[in-house]
Amino acid sequence: MINTRFVVPLVAFTALVFFLYQGLFSDPRERESQALAKPMPTFSLPDLMEPSVIYTNDVFTDQVTLLNIWGVWCVTCAVELPYLTELSQQGVRFVGLYYDQDLDPDFGTKTLARVQQEVIETTNQLGNPFVFNIFDVYRDTSLDLGVTGAPETLLIDQQGVIRVHHIGDLNPRVWDSKFAPLYNELMAQLVTSVSTQPAKQQEDKP
Amino acid sequence: MNHLTRSLFIIVSMWSLLTLSGLLFSHDVQATQENYAFATEQQRQDFKRLTKELRCPMCQNQNIADSDAMIAHDMRRKVYQLLSQGNDHDQVIDFMKQRYGDFVYYQPPVNNSTIWLWLLPFSVLLIGAWILFKRRPEISHTDEQVEADLLAKADEMLEKDK
Repeated sequence: MINTRFVVPLVAFTALVFFLYQGLFSDPRERESQALAKPMPTFSLPDLMEPSVIYTNDVFTDQVTLLNIWGVWCVTCAVELPYLTELSQQGVRFVGLYYDQDLDPDFGTKTLARVQQEVIETTNQLGNPFVFNIFDVYRDTSLDLGVTGAPETLLIDQQGVIRVHHIGDLNPRVWDSKFAPLYNELMAQLVTSVSTQPAKQQEDKP
Repeated sequence: MNHLTRSLFIIVSMWSLLTLSGLLFSHDVQATQENYAFATEQQRQDFKRLTKELRCPMCQNQNIADSDAMIAHDMRRKVYQLLSQGNDHDQVIDFMKQRYGDFVYYQPPVNNSTIWLWLLPFSVLLIGAWILFKRRPEISHTDEQVEADLLAKADEMLEKDK
């Protein structure tokens, strides 16, 4: 009798302590991305600098791409730009999904020319990692991707499937732990598929 | 003692100030209102209900009706679009869940990991009842005897004082 009287509360208390202790190290903002392992949602959006150019999902086929959601108004984006530029110089393909918070589609206050000028100023100053920027005018594609803010970075494989969804800035630590292993693997696949295709053609010829 | 009353006074006055300011400013909580024109009254009601039930994914515990975050703006606009296109309440919820997960809806689904939200309170209640039942004090024979002795002693003392 004495035993259970002390053991039961002790076990319950220990379990509670363990439960609450885990809570200390959990991130309340962390949640599972719904975009993972799904193909990039279909879109048809203009180029930020040249609005007559329209991009579709084709821009992601047969290439491993990092899609970076950003804007000049976003402070953290400015922090990560130099590192992204560094990565792009190492050959990583960055595409920007640009959206502007002051360019409210319903009550536009800023002109497109002003946005373009700000983007040029920022990239001149901090570096430009982007092959091109897709302009998410109505932020529909961001919403389809489950984007909650900027910056966010997606790793999209050669089939156009989203493999990594990172919320927050991309720094060396995040790159090494979250992106690099899968990125290298995908790049290796890409290289082998490219090198085997011509070989096959050669075999076919004779 | 003086110190205690003073700190008590401070606490009470701060509390009443907070309550008062809460009453005064509670009308300002509603974020900037966009002007949406609804085709039917039903759509207006659905919009009001949905923006209250959908949680802003970026903010800590705020619905999209109350939040002024950009994502909340965009989600309100999306809800309006979807309703205008003829989607009903559940379809809008599903649309948002597909993009932002179960987190976005204030009503969590019942599944293996969330069932405890409903079971745990009842199990605590049951355990408590069980402990209370088990621990019901029994008035034992010896207790009665001791009590009777004490009463007798007290009577004796009272008699002496007379």
